[in-house]
Amino acid sequence: MTRRRIKKTILWIAFVVLVGGAPVIGFGKNAAPIPQAGGGQIAPVPAGETDKTLAALHDELERSKDRLVLPGQQRPYFIEYRLLDLDERVISAEFGALLTSSTTRNRFMSVDVRVGNYKLDSSNFLSAEGFRGFLGSTGTVGIDRDYDSLRQDLWLATDQAYKQALDSFSNKQAALRALANAPTVDDFSREAPVVTVEPRVEPDWTTRNWESEARTVSAVVKNYAELYNSRVTYHLIYTTSYIVTTEGTQIRTSRSLAAIEASMGTQAADGMPLHNFLAVYANRPTELPGADAVRQQLDAKGKEVAALRAAPTVQDYDGPMLFEAPAAGSLLAQVLPPSLSGARPPLAMNTRFEQMMQALGGRSEWMGRIGQRVLPLTVDLTDDPTARQFQGHDLIASYQVDQDGVRAQKIALVQEGLLKQLLMSRRPGPDFDRSNGHGRSAFLAMPRPMVSNLFFTASNGESSADLRKRFLEACKQNGQKFGLLVREMDNPVVASSSQEELSDSLETLATGAPNGDRMPLLVYRVNVMDGSEELVRGAMISRLTLRNLRTLLGIGNDNAVFYYAQSQDAETAGTALGAFGSANGGVPSDVIAPSLLFEEIEVRGPHGEPRRTPLVPPPPLQ
Amino acid sequence: MDSQPAIRAEGVTRLKLTRTVVSILALLLAASSASAKGKPPRMPELPAQAAPAAQAPPSPLLGAVQEELNREMGVIGKTDPPAYFLSYTVTDSDRSEVTGSNGALLSSAQQRSRWLEGQVRVGSYQLDNTHRVGNDGPGFPGSFGEPVPIDDDPAVLKRAMWRETESQYRAAAEAFIKVKTGKDVQVQTVAQGAPDFSQEKPQVYYGPRASYTLDRHPWEEKVRLYTHSFRASAAILNSIVTFTAQAQNQYQVTSEDTKLQFGEVRYRLELFIQGKATDGMDIERYYNFDWTDPAGAPDDKTVLAQCAVLQKELESLVKAPLAEPYAGPAMLTGRAAAVFFHEVFGHRDEGFRQKDIGEGQTFAGKVGELLLPNFISIVDDPTAAKLGSAVLLGNYPFDDEGIAAQKVTLVDHGVLRNFEMSRQPLNGFPQSNGHGRRQVGLPPESRQGNLIVDSSYKVTSARLRHMFIEEIKRQNKPYGLLFDDISGGFTFTGRSQPQAFQVQPLVVYRVYADGRPDELVRGVDIVGTPLVSLQKIMATGDAPEVFNGYCGAESGSVPVAAAAPPLLISEMEVQKKQTSTDRPPILPPPAHDLQTTDPQAKVN
Repeated sequence: MTRRRIKKTILWIAFVVLVGGAPVIGFGKNAAPIPQAGGGQIAPVPAGETDKTLAALHDELERSKDRLVLPGQQRPYFIEYRLLDLDERVISAEFGALLTSSTTRNRFMSVDVRVGNYKLDSSNFLSAEGFRGFLGSTGTVGIDRDYDSLRQDLWLATDQAYKQALDSFSNKQAALRALANAPTVDDFSREAPVVTVEPRVEPDWTTRNWESEARTVSAVVKNYAELYNSRVTYHLIYTTSYIVTTEGTQIRTSRSLAAIEASMGTQAADGMPLHNFLAVYANRPTELPGADAVRQQLDAKGKEVAALRAAPTVQDYDGPMLFEAPAAGSLLAQVLPPSLSGARPPLAMNTRFEQMMQALGGRSEWMGRIGQRVLPLTVDLTDDPTARQFQGHDLIASYQVDQDGVRAQKIALVQEGLLKQLLMSRRPGPDFDRSNGHGRSAFLAMPRPMVSNLFFTASNGESSADLRKRFLEACKQNGQKFGLLVREMDNPVVASSSQEELSDSLETLATGAPNGDRMPLLVYRVNVMDGSEELVRGAMISRLTLRNLRTLLGIGNDNAVFYYAQSQDAETAGTALGAFGSANGGVPSDVIAPSLLFEEIEVRGPHGEPRRTPLVPPPPLQ
Repeated sequence: MDSQPAIRAEGVTRLKLTRTVVSILALLLAASSASAKGKPPRMPELPAQAAPAAQAPPSPLLGAVQEELNREMGVIGKTDPPAYFLSYTVTDSDRSEVTGSNGALLSSAQQRSRWLEGQVRVGSYQLDNTHRVGNDGPGFPGSFGEPVPIDDDPAVLKRAMWRETESQYRAAAEAFIKVKTGKDVQVQTVAQGAPDFSQEKPQVYYGPRASYTLDRHPWEEKVRLYTHSFRASAAILNSIVTFTAQAQNQYQVTSEDTKLQFGEVRYRLELFIQGKATDGMDIERYYNFDWTDPAGAPDDKTVLAQCAVLQKELESLVKAPLAEPYAGPAMLTGRAAAVFFHEVFGHRDEGFRQKDIGEGQTFAGKVGELLLPNFISIVDDPTAAKLGSAVLLGNYPFDDEGIAAQKVTLVDHGVLRNFEMSRQPLNGFPQSNGHGRRQVGLPPESRQGNLIVDSSYKVTSARLRHMFIEEIKRQNKPYGLLFDDISGGFTFTGRSQPQAFQVQPLVVYRVYADGRPDELVRGVDIVGTPLVSLQKIMATGDAPEVFNGYCGAESGSVPVAAAAPPLLISEMEVQKKQTSTDRPPILPPPAHDLQTTDPQAKVN
């Protein structure tokens, strides 16, 4: 227990370092010409526009651009205001009873002030200065959408951000003097300003009785008395976000997200903890499936947990492994993203930070490998935020402009197995110095390169039946009687019903991620002779990394959409664990991928001593 | 203080449960004053004990809790090691909050929730799993509890109780095994020889359900109005006004046959403004109104008058000279005196601190000794609902361990008599006196309720000031210091986390011996042991003032009150406070910027 706590402490220290260690200085090859500081004109508020928020943003930005300077110091070369209107309805129920039901409305601002120039500025450097006082550059602002209070809040935040920028810039210049080689990657990319003022979408949650749905839906698992706990949460989120910059960008966009996330947990008779989850996402509350449909899905999840309790534990395994379509998408969401970001890596001399990132599976293996083969020659990998649907299914990561205010672009990352491009925000990297509209974030977090709608396609995809046949053949050739098949991957963030359970899972993954540890949820032992399946529990996949994708034995043509929310917790964003998010703070994303057959995957059976089952039997639920 | 403006500095990141728990633990005292207006009561005549309200029918919730308790105890009471005590508390909270800043609303919401806590004790009253061995701090409680449905569903509630019991029993059994070994390995102090848990008579009481009806809309208008009033001053950089209404109902059942149901409704209005001196020092002013009867709400005129006072104080403080190091006579007026007693005496007299080896054990062994001047007496009386016309926030019928609140004489004519006691006994003090308190989710500890200071050497305000000036002259000092407001670990800004008992003077005047007008100074820090100052009280005034606040300590944030008359102290030592050096904002406030000529400035 104590040792575990120490380990946990270490882990959290690691996380804290990561929080503070948001990318620092980087080095690169392509020296760019120093652009002129200054930039464009602040976009005027469109004629006839009555939105006082736009007016306040404009006016305070103009005043700051013209007059914000400390005597003897540099003026800002770039100021950006981001503002978020957030309306949220959250309803939770368990076993048919309502737990919470809340409706909240908040507004937040985030001010970025940069001194220096695009090549070298006050960003990408962790100042030794901590929190400087009550006047922060971020915070809540008034929800009345009035002019005066917003001006006041922006004024203080801008002042604070400017002083912080001056401090950071002088600290950064001092630190750079100690380096043998000056950084050659720019700090900030120059982009064309975007002006797009869309109509504001107002929240509407009156279309359905959400409390009643949450009760009805959550009641279905009362049939599974062996469940220790279960919870169903509806998230109905409306946002309007504003971005205005001294470069002339002026954006107002609205979007919504609706989600149903459910967890359930129990223990097997031998003490092994077991859980399951359901995660359903939609672009609008009205598009969420109705109570009957969700009840059915949740009931199926309950049946799966019951089956898992009765299932035998998995034996250690080393051989071919088939990931069926939605599970393959989840796997790719863990394995690919750390290597898809082209933003500058952390400061090289800060080895501790690099080690931490690496420990969580956050190191890019593709940076500096443009033009080289990274996937099978038949595979294309494309990220397309402008796509809205796949085979009639709505995608949830579509946008016109990213959170840096850059237009969304469809990016061919890998073509015929060769690496062509990386995901770029306005933070340049060694391979690319311009954004391609992938600076993503939610709730005003710092934008970072993230996948949106990620398409994994193969020119030689085969039918599910053929792929399964090939899988069993490969097992036979290995002399195996059984092969392992993954039908669903775990998401501990959605599936855990207690903080303790979540910490345990994340701790396991955080220590195992660099070795390619992956957590499956539903694993079947398939008999190579007759194709019969047997559910097994306790499997942990190890050493499944990007490399295994280059030697795929087969790829299906059964592309399916895997929906998820990317975590943007400072601790895990950009690492393999970033795939584990929830609608509560996550960035809606999806991966469209077919079933994947791997040549050789290692699986470990249960390890460690599980906790005994409860002394007292559970009280009846009905 | 769930929604303190700290969030304004912390960005938008969603907090997870762990972090929430940490921040709950980090909550410290947010205190202020509600002047006991109207007739100042004569001190010894404290309000009579609140007569128990008419009993009401027990909630069906209690029956469900009792059933599951019996079922659980039937097993864990017979397992090895056996549980000897089991209790559950369900706290039902209905909270409305309207908060605003600089003339606009920040949020307006209502939230209903229920929280379940369980407590399992393993071993015996004499020695159980909570026993501290050596320098070990308190063990992890196994669980902070969990939310339970706001729908009355006995089966779902029982399921949650079952989960809580399992994790609590597991943690308690593990801890108890360690205690037994540790006790053999490490030397025990005499104080640690006292039993771990007191034996008490069961309490049964079914009070009526507390509830309120509220239209938030008028309060939204008020919050806008009050924060808007601060916009008149260019010195006020930021203002935050928060109105809260909360009905909290508690249901407690224990294996000792205690069954309680009681509730209370509380209303609060908080005013907070921030400014900055030219040298960068942050200046803050805060005031709160508390009431329990909807009719007791302050009217706009009263609140706006208070806003004006805060504004004037802040504007004066921004321009005030810095304090110089000083040692000499001091006077503490009403609310400063009350906060001072709460922080300096009240916390040190909490029972568990006399036992815990990591604590100063300041008062342990001093019972029966003259601790304070012989004209000072102190009681802690949670049964008092009001002092004069002022509401007392530390009023409750039963504490969080199910013990009836009691009026306790802590100091009688300067002699230390008693401690604020929870069910953790001390040698010579085997029983609780109803002061076991906690913030929902944390294990109870001994805490203050309503700390009320009385004096038998009272003089009028004018006389006290005269004595003050005489004493300044006698000591050959040019001036003395008058403390008009002091904060405890006041963390409204979330900027720092001062120690729980640190006292921070907020409004301090130099009172000159030569008759010059009083002069406001800023940046005063009290040095030395504040307790010594209490022993140097020369006389007191005759008009007590009440401060109400939320006090933070090991068992979280709990509502408390303190009341004391003005104090004249022969010696107090102060130094200059460390200060922020960030310059004030470069540009003038937008609303006070004469250069604003942009025709765009106002849309509509």
